Amino acid sequence: MSEQNPQTDPPLLQVKGLETHFPIRKGLLRRQVGSVKAVDGVTFDIPRGKTLGLVGESGCGKTTVGRSLLRLVEPTGGEVLFDNHAVRKENARSLRSLRRRMQIVFQDPYGSLNPRMKIRSILEEGLILHRLGERSARLEQMEQALERTGLSPAVLERYPHEFSGGQRQRIAIARALVLKPEFLVLDEPVSALDVSIQAQVINLLKELKQELGLTYLFISHDLSVVEYLADNVAVMYLGQIVESAEAGQLCQQPLHPYTLALFSAVPSVEVKNRRQRIVLAGDVPSPSRPPAGCRFHPRCPLAETVCREVEPPQVDLAGHRFHCHVASRELERCGGDAAKTSVVMQAAITAATSDSTEPHSAVSQRMSLDHQ
Amino acid sequence: MAAPLLEIKDLVTVFHTSDGRLPAVDGVSLSIERGQTLGLVGESGCGKSVTAMSTLRLVSSPGRIESGSIMFTTEGESIDLVTTPEKQLRQVRGGRIGMIFQEPMTSLNPVFTIGNQIAEAVQLHRKVSRSEARSRALEMLHLVRLADPEQRLDAYPHQLSGGMRQRVMIAIALACEPDLIIADEPTTALDVTIQAQILELLDDLRSRLGTAILLITHDLGVVAETCDDVAVMYAGRIVEQASAVELFSRPLHPYTIGLLQARPNVDARDSGPLETIPGMVPPPQDFPSGCRFHPRCSHAREPQCNVEPPSLREVSPGHFVRCHFAEEINS
Ligand SMILES: Nc1ncnc2c1ncn2[C@@H]1O[C@H](COP(=O)(O)OP(=O)(O)O)[C@@H](O)[C@H]1O
Ligand SMILES: Nc1ncnc2c1ncn2[C@@H]1O[C@H](COP(=O)(O)OP(=O)(O)O)[C@@H](O)[C@H]1O
Ligand code: SF4
Ligand SMILES: [Mg+2]
Ligand SMILES: [Mg+2]
Repeated sequence: MSEQNPQTDPPLLQVKGLETHFPIRKGLLRRQVGSVKAVDGVTFDIPRGKTLGLVGESGCGKTTVGRSLLRLVEPTGGEVLFDNHAVRKENARSLRSLRRRMQIVFQDPYGSLNPRMKIRSILEEGLILHRLGERSARLEQMEQALERTGLSPAVLERYPHEFSGGQRQRIAIARALVLKPEFLVLDEPVSALDVSIQAQVINLLKELKQELGLTYLFISHDLSVVEYLADNVAVMYLGQIVESAEAGQLCQQPLHPYTLALFSAVPSVEVKNRRQRIVLAGDVPSPSRPPAGCRFHPRCPLAETVCREVEPPQVDLAGHRFHCHVASRELERCGGDAAKTSVVMQAAITAATSDSTEPHSAVSQRMSLDHQ
Repeated sequence: MAAPLLEIKDLVTVFHTSDGRLPAVDGVSLSIERGQTLGLVGESGCGKSVTAMSTLRLVSSPGRIESGSIMFTTEGESIDLVTTPEKQLRQVRGGRIGMIFQEPMTSLNPVFTIGNQIAEAVQLHRKVSRSEARSRALEMLHLVRLADPEQRLDAYPHQLSGGMRQRVMIAIALACEPDLIIADEPTTALDVTIQAQILELLDDLRSRLGTAILLITHDLGVVAETCDDVAVMYAGRIVEQASAVELFSRPLHPYTIGLLQARPNVDARDSGPLETIPGMVPPPQDFPSGCRFHPRCSHAREPQCNVEPPSLREVSPGHFVRCHFAEEINS
């Protein structure tokens, strides 16, 4: 792999204002009555050889971002530049050659491999589609990809149902690798696996990235996995990125109330300091009718009038980017000190949520009375 | 000392299949005190759900409880759930013992409103009128902090989000003021912020109503945050048991230690690859000889581990470990 100079080389992937809206149709004439704004203005870069972790809760649009990059779903707006090719403008033929370089691995190791196909056919499919090599060259590539993922060439003659979840995920990774891609979208690749198996696959992904110089978009709802694997992390909520930064920076000094709540909700095994958990009220609203102003405001413990009315602009503090009125005001008060601001935000949210558990105590008292 | 609320002793539950006799639960003993939360934790396939279903005698054919006892003691009266007549057991299920499962959609009836379903649960175990049952249902929805309970009483399950449905399941489980709730992966299908809501709710209800909880999960973090005591299960057996504080500050079984080290986090990032446990959890037809964990264990030594099954020993007060070398690991 060639040495990368972040100063001069443009990022391998540049995404600007990406939008993917799905039409909602109703009635006999299937008239469009609205749209699901699954991805609604998403911007990020991934430098060559780096991993961007994309986190957020289910339905926030992570999978749609990943699929939109490869045009497995058609974006409705914005720009995707892959190695300076405008992906959205490519014709079918040039798109095919780009797709060899950009591969995707899905979450479900059970659903993503065709149960009626031998592993050989599953791996060979892409090579044939992209007309890569003769029979013997293809076999060599397949064996190489299997070896890289810790599988023996003997698996070629077997069927998916003969393998465990962890092994299937290795096969899915081998299928992506066989085309020698530069960029992988990993969509929740370890979410369905048990912890001990998960660790094996995480190590494999990390190793492959180093050995092959791969670039990853690593999608997960699990913050601890993302923290471990990613160089940079972007947090999504309702179709938009609300905060992004270098992984260590984001973990140590989160500024957006949603990021703070998300971190606080991840159960930790540090039993000695059972923390004061930040518990958000309510569910994520529907992406067909996102709330006005800041999209997080109906669940945000710190929401003010301005939050309900005005969409918060992006603040960029040396690459640590976020969209939040309160955080941006506090940052100013703290003289631009992110560490201090993070502490202030944490304290404010904890204070705002700690007295919210009481409203129904009257009911429960009644209940314990009639218990006696 | 009074008998514990629930005391499972040497439970063996087997499935008779074409693969032979499969002891999915193979000599499990657990006990839960009133108002306490016991976490039963382990990777998938280790026998957690079969343990839970055995406790309510709901194991589906071809499974059956082969031996052991499950003493359930309320108001000074003990019954053995393994031998109690079915008629009496039906009063216990959903009455003195409530149940919550991973996917509420499959346990809720899609054609009835949630108000009806809670009211029905109440009427099954109590002689109350329809309107009393309905107002009890509303009270339950308030208790589990479902938003807009008055409107939601007449909603159907599919009109609710996953988190709301789980609240409804908890409402049903609590409707008869049970002494024990068995919750099998109650938050596994939920997002973390919703999981945090449900765990907080369960903990709050336990401390206010004194309901004991058997919390089954594959997530050690969930156990650490909510449980008083923990039992770690592997291949049909309990391999380690202690208070949560003790277990997480001083894990002694190589499997528990392995599970804890395999958890990724930001601090582990620059210290090389994650520790892994090689191989995978064996199904009952492939349970290894000796210590069932020995093929995956970094401490395993021949000839002890591959021949001699270790017993569950009290290594320090209240801390039980099933490993030949627990003392060595301890020091
Ligand atoms: N093909 C589709 N048609 C309509 N809506 C969709 C489609 N795919 C996804 N959505 C909706 O878009 C939103 C984002 O979905 P998704 O990208 O799968 O989120 P995530 O991966 O973060 O869970 C959800 O509300 C989902 O229901
Ligand atoms: N109906 C059944 N027939 C045969 N084997 C079963 C049946 N139900 C469960 N088992 C086996 O029992 C073991 C334990 O399963 P289970 O208790 O569901 O595990 P867990 O809940 O810990 O994931 C597994 O190996 C599973 O295959
Ligand atoms: S008994 Fe042996 S194989 Fe089993 S856990 Fe202990 S050291 Fe490992
Ligand atoms: Mg997804
Ligand atoms: Mg289970």
